[in-house]
Amino acid sequence: MINFYQLIYRTLTTFSSKKGEGSKVVPDLATDMGQSNADATVWTFHLKKNIYFSTGAPITSKDVKFGVERAFDPKLAVGAPYARLYLDAPKDYEGPYKSGDLSSIETPDDSTIVFHLNQSVPEFASALTEPVFTPFPDDPDTVTETSVDQKPVSSGPYEVKSYTQGSSIALVRNPYWKASTDSVRKAYPDKIDFTFGVDAATVDQRLISDQGKDVDTISGNSVLPSSLAKLQTPQLKSRVVEGESGCTTYLVMNTTKPGLNNVKVRQAISYAINKQQVVDAAGGNQLATITNTMLPSNTPGYQSFDLYPSKDSKGDPAKAKELLKAAGVSNLSLILDTRETDTMISQSEAIQQALAKVGITVKINQIDAASFYQTIGTTSEQHDMTVTGWCPDWASGSTFLPPLFQGSQIFSQGNSNVAQLNDPAVNAQIEKIEKMTDLTEANKAWSALDKQINELAPTVPLYYAKAVSLVGSNVGGAYSDPQRAGGVNFATVGLLDPSK
Amino acid sequence: MTVPNAEASFGLTEVEAGPAASTPGRGRVVRALLAKPQVVAAAGFLVLLVLLAVLAPVLTAIEGSGPNAFHSGAVDSDLGGMPIGAFGGVSGAHWFGVEPQTGRDIFARIVYGAQVSLTISLATTAVTTVVGVVLGTVAGYFGGVVDTVISRLMDILMAFPALIFMIAILSALPDGNRTLLLICVLSVFGWPYIARVIRGQTMSLRQREFVEAARVSGARLRHQLFAEVLPNLRGTIIVLATMAAPGYIGTEAALSFLGVGVVPPTPSWGQMIAASVNWFTVDPTYFLIPGAFLFLTVMSFIVIGDHAQKVLDGREA
Repeated sequence: MINFYQLIYRTLTTFSSKKGEGSKVVPDLATDMGQSNADATVWTFHLKKNIYFSTGAPITSKDVKFGVERAFDPKLAVGAPYARLYLDAPKDYEGPYKSGDLSSIETPDDSTIVFHLNQSVPEFASALTEPVFTPFPDDPDTVTETSVDQKPVSSGPYEVKSYTQGSSIALVRNPYWKASTDSVRKAYPDKIDFTFGVDAATVDQRLISDQGKDVDTISGNSVLPSSLAKLQTPQLKSRVVEGESGCTTYLVMNTTKPGLNNVKVRQAISYAINKQQVVDAAGGNQLATITNTMLPSNTPGYQSFDLYPSKDSKGDPAKAKELLKAAGVSNLSLILDTRETDTMISQSEAIQQALAKVGITVKINQIDAASFYQTIGTTSEQHDMTVTGWCPDWASGSTFLPPLFQGSQIFSQGNSNVAQLNDPAVNAQIEKIEKMTDLTEANKAWSALDKQINELAPTVPLYYAKAVSLVGSNVGGAYSDPQRAGGVNFATVGLLDPSK
Repeated sequence: MTVPNAEASFGLTEVEAGPAASTPGRGRVVRALLAKPQVVAAAGFLVLLVLLAVLAPVLTAIEGSGPNAFHSGAVDSDLGGMPIGAFGGVSGAHWFGVEPQTGRDIFARIVYGAQVSLTISLATTAVTTVVGVVLGTVAGYFGGVVDTVISRLMDILMAFPALIFMIAILSALPDGNRTLLLICVLSVFGWPYIARVIRGQTMSLRQREFVEAARVSGARLRHQLFAEVLPNLRGTIIVLATMAAPGYIGTEAALSFLGVGVVPPTPSWGQMIAASVNWFTVDPTYFLIPGAFLFLTVMSFIVIGDHAQKVLDGREA
């Protein structure tokens, strides 16, 4: 999402577009990373000069404030909820259209904005990268609750020329964007056309063939596992862009279910899983790297550990059986919720096979891809286990571990704590780390907490997804960026020979 | 869409005049069929397939791989899970090679998939034939209100876009026993195609002198139906059933291809074909093997049914 949004929108801060630094947060509309008071509850930012909307109007601190206020409107409340979580707003505040002005954001002048938070947030500058902090012209009459969907007001280098839902978006230059104010985006192409809904196998074949207009094409998705074998020739290899996606895929166990409420059983399952088979089912070593930690390896303060080791990560059924015996559990039968796609079904079958070896029967419950996340996020509808993934909003334990494992984050709907883990020690530790103002110490503590949680085995970390994409032969400057899900960074890609 | 629509070809089938004796004798039909090499080949393949399905546990034990066991060693994880070795990893341990990514044995999945395909198609054929013959005979013989009710029911079921309806039903129903569910759903939509032909035949038989004679001479209803009408329908029923079976194999494969057939990890030819489509260019064996089995099975049934029809029609032999 951020990869596309950054083309039309700018935020106070954003992710770097330097190769290898994609997870680093840098100033965008703001002049720097902001100043905070001692306990990081009040943050002040200054805006750059010469920044304009696609309407030609200058971007002021009031526009930034208006954009954040909009995020409180229940009708517009999509995406990461950081604005609502962190800002010191009245409980019943419902955005500028219903509730008017939000007093916890001050705009002393047109280029200064002050945020008052309800808690100490040392990483607030990182939270500002989220799309909910996108500025919109402070004019509730022209920028309405629905107008942005139809006619987005752009602050980035491009504006939307045409949009057909589910089919295409055409972007052209925003004439008011100034490269001198933007250290992140290169914005080389004059025009970018997005086409959606093309069959994945067709995309791969077109990029491999590299004919006609396809020489100027990049793909938003990783290639299919079946295409990897074709990419081994030197000509194709030179057009391959690959890297980490920054996301972790894991097996999550519902800790409230009979059997799985026993930590020994969960540990037994952690031993039993053959991770190499899961990786093969996900597309092999090029598309997935085995992990034993939940946190991605690019997280600051990351420490590697393996609490349930086995040879070549192929599982240790003997150890698993021992633990099951110690737990006094036999004839366990579990339901595995599975997203109805070829590769997710294969991965579930791999887990089914591995658990069959230790005497656990697994039934695969296929759920339509469109309603899968809704189903597993509804506590009354989820079953015993599922395979899912998590991509942190920015590289930090704070956007990874609390949403997945904090007891207070169990909701009956839209639940991300799918394990329904509610462990007093874990909860206390999360609260403690969130108060730390020393980020280096906090990062170390998050990684230690990752280990502490893994001892309770609510999840089995399986692999880090990797992205392998192919670009047309006339495309230059393409590199894989972990903050953009391993895809090609749209902000810096261009054509080698624009006259072609 | 593969629900058999046999009506067009059987509308023309004329039943021999006179009592049951005038239908070609059983021995003669078999002899006439066995005289044709293509029928012998088709029957041979079906016998082989049944043997494979029945002996699946023994055969896979000899080969050494179950249908669901993963073999990481047989695929190259660095190449997206391509099978190691020529022709999709064909070897002494894996006679038909292995699936890409998972390394599951294709031979084991083919023979276990044959069990699924044959169970579903033969059971559905049996159910639809019994239901179709009973309701068709009843409707044709009694006429009046009974005929109207049954005929309208058939019209409704035949007018339904059956495949779309099956997909909807199968995705809405809970998982449970998918094989049984598939048999039920296929049967509900399959029987009218048989019943309609039988109804027409029964109506014309009813007017025949030998049936009239039995009726006026006071024969009981059971005798009229089972001794006079049914034996004359025998040929039609055999042909209809033979032609229906491949239709159900195809439909089951189509439903599995579309992801609403049997539940993984149960092997199914349709699922195998669906999974192999993307791999076609790099691992053609993976696509060709289930494709060939499906093709040969359906063709064998059709060859036998086609020739049986010709023989029973008396146009040949």
